[in-house]
Amino acid sequence: MFHLELLVVGLIWGAMYAMMALGLTLVYGLLRILHVAHAGVFALGAYAGVLTANATGSLWLAVPAAIGVSAAVGPLIYRFIYAPMLSRPPYVALIASIGLFIAMEDGFRLLFGPYGLPFDHNPWFVTTYDLGGIHLNAVQIAMAVSTLVLAAAFGAFVSATRIGVAWRATVSDPQMAQSFGIDPVRVRYLNFAIGSAMAGAAGLLVGLLNNLVEPGMGAVVSYKGLAIIVLGGLGNVPGAVVASLLLGVVESFGTVYLSAVLDRDAIAFAVLIAVLLIRPRGLFASAR
Amino acid sequence: MYHSHHSASLVKGLFLASAVALGGVASAADALRIGFHAPLTGFAAGDGKSSSLGAELAAEQINAAGGCDGRMVELVIYDDQAKADQAIPAANKILGEGVKVAISGSYSGATRAAAGVFQKAGIPFISAYAIHPDITRTGDHVFRTSFMGEVQGRAGAKFVGEMLGHQRVVMITLNNDFGQSLATGFREKADDFGVEVVSEYSYSIKDRQFGSIVAGVKRDAPDAIYASGYFFTAGPLVSQLRAGGVEAPIIGQEGYDTQHFIDIAKAAAEGVMITTSLDRDSEDPEMRAFIDAFETKAGFPADMVAAATHTAVRVMCDAVARAGGEDPSAVREALAATKDFATATGRVSFNALGEIMKDVEIQIVKDGAYRHFARIHDPELLAPPSE
Repeated sequence: MFHLELLVVGLIWGAMYAMMALGLTLVYGLLRILHVAHAGVFALGAYAGVLTANATGSLWLAVPAAIGVSAAVGPLIYRFIYAPMLSRPPYVALIASIGLFIAMEDGFRLLFGPYGLPFDHNPWFVTTYDLGGIHLNAVQIAMAVSTLVLAAAFGAFVSATRIGVAWRATVSDPQMAQSFGIDPVRVRYLNFAIGSAMAGAAGLLVGLLNNLVEPGMGAVVSYKGLAIIVLGGLGNVPGAVVASLLLGVVESFGTVYLSAVLDRDAIAFAVLIAVLLIRPRGLFASAR
Repeated sequence: MYHSHHSASLVKGLFLASAVALGGVASAADALRIGFHAPLTGFAAGDGKSSSLGAELAAEQINAAGGCDGRMVELVIYDDQAKADQAIPAANKILGEGVKVAISGSYSGATRAAAGVFQKAGIPFISAYAIHPDITRTGDHVFRTSFMGEVQGRAGAKFVGEMLGHQRVVMITLNNDFGQSLATGFREKADDFGVEVVSEYSYSIKDRQFGSIVAGVKRDAPDAIYASGYFFTAGPLVSQLRAGGVEAPIIGQEGYDTQHFIDIAKAAAEGVMITTSLDRDSEDPEMRAFIDAFETKAGFPADMVAAATHTAVRVMCDAVARAGGEDPSAVREALAATKDFATATGRVSFNALGEIMKDVEIQIVKDGAYRHFARIHDPELLAPPSE
């Protein structure tokens, strides 16, 4: 029972990582940029959500606010930060991304205060369900369900829609795709919009689970997101999802059984190092 | 940047104070400048804000009452991000300003690092709320106006075992200087008060998700939980324990001691008890004056961190006044001789190591606010080490 609960808790936390990592791995696949500021978008979604919820008293309105603001800001980051740097070596964009992330963290602190913002009313967190002795609240269930739905919708989108196919074509061979009449810039905007929307949703859900939205809340997911996409094989979408769930479960068990030796974050990196020693290109290295 | 910002507001404060109290006698030239480092940015920026506000309030009150031995108090504030590697340059910048006395409004890691710099320079230094034992052991110029972690941990063991009568206890320990010192004190005295520690979990300061610890606590089914943390970890921890169906009483410490903890945990905070030094229901005029003035200044209720820096500034000013100036060795002697000095966190006297000796206050969350619950007067148990 205890182990089952640890497994469930780990999978749910892994689902959150997956929502974050999807956007990161898509950006990497398309542009070969490590998009650290994605974690800033995650925190931005949480802030948009908490401000909306506290102003309107409705958590339901917080959801479109978090997703909408993040989906709008992601493409702006591409347009004004990354696009002008695409001709430079990738580390230039990486440094810009780190800088943007730090600026966003401090921006949140200056605008909304260093103490963070709790939700005035958080009915989803206090609505709990007893599933055979395992207590889950509505936010945890929403996290698991929304990851499943988003992953399924994303799979359908890239395989069944015209623009989804264009996207896959651009990822695997941008020049060839362009010569077939696909506009790579449009694909990039779409990429940033969808990835950022997911990050914003994940940020809102984490904010609800902690009942606290803090300036620095992106820090942990920023570097763990990078660990996950490396584990999953850079640019590999299914690999990133599996690596996310795996990391969630390892952390969940590790927190109980290894915490005397390693803290939770160290566990993530110990797994990363162990995997890279055995499979230098990640668990699911893409064929390219 | 921070420095100039604070200087600007202080100049305004000075102006006001001198206009009101002294008719413009004091000038900035003979101000008493107190070095102050705190985490104004980074993960601990919330506590850094409270600690700066508490220190500023003390300076304003001293200045409005005619100053410190007639001299206006001016704070020289630098950001240390609550990090040891940032505290050393911050301490050196404070020294570079020619400041002769200094206070830490920061966490243990940063304060230990800064203590070394100030001790080496022969500058009297007070740790306002950092609790690691090694801070005062840095040298004879370092003092502390709050409880050592171990002392507070021992008080926790007495409270849980003897006063509440709980036997099977789970410890949830924040894995940093703060949490580990508390855990050491608690474990050391657990046996004496009939407490059996059935298991101990630890978490890092970045953790906000405690699902697996909650699952572990449910399996352990303890009589009580002794959990260390700051408001931003304790808020989510306590909420998640309660949402996970854990009903055992939760005992925390002064890291919880702010209204922000209750704002985060809300209904789950009800009944949580903490060991601290700030009593909201105190009749003591010093404490009352602080609690009321702080809420007016800050716009939110007083917390332990602010009370601690307020105390440290007043203790330092008292020592400078008795020393008749800021000659570092005279101030050090005066600090060491501090006896029963009334402050917002109780009466201050130091032992040979520069550690404070005082009672431990227990507060409980009731109807969304901290209230008085009990007081532990046990000089033997609460005696800090003297060497």
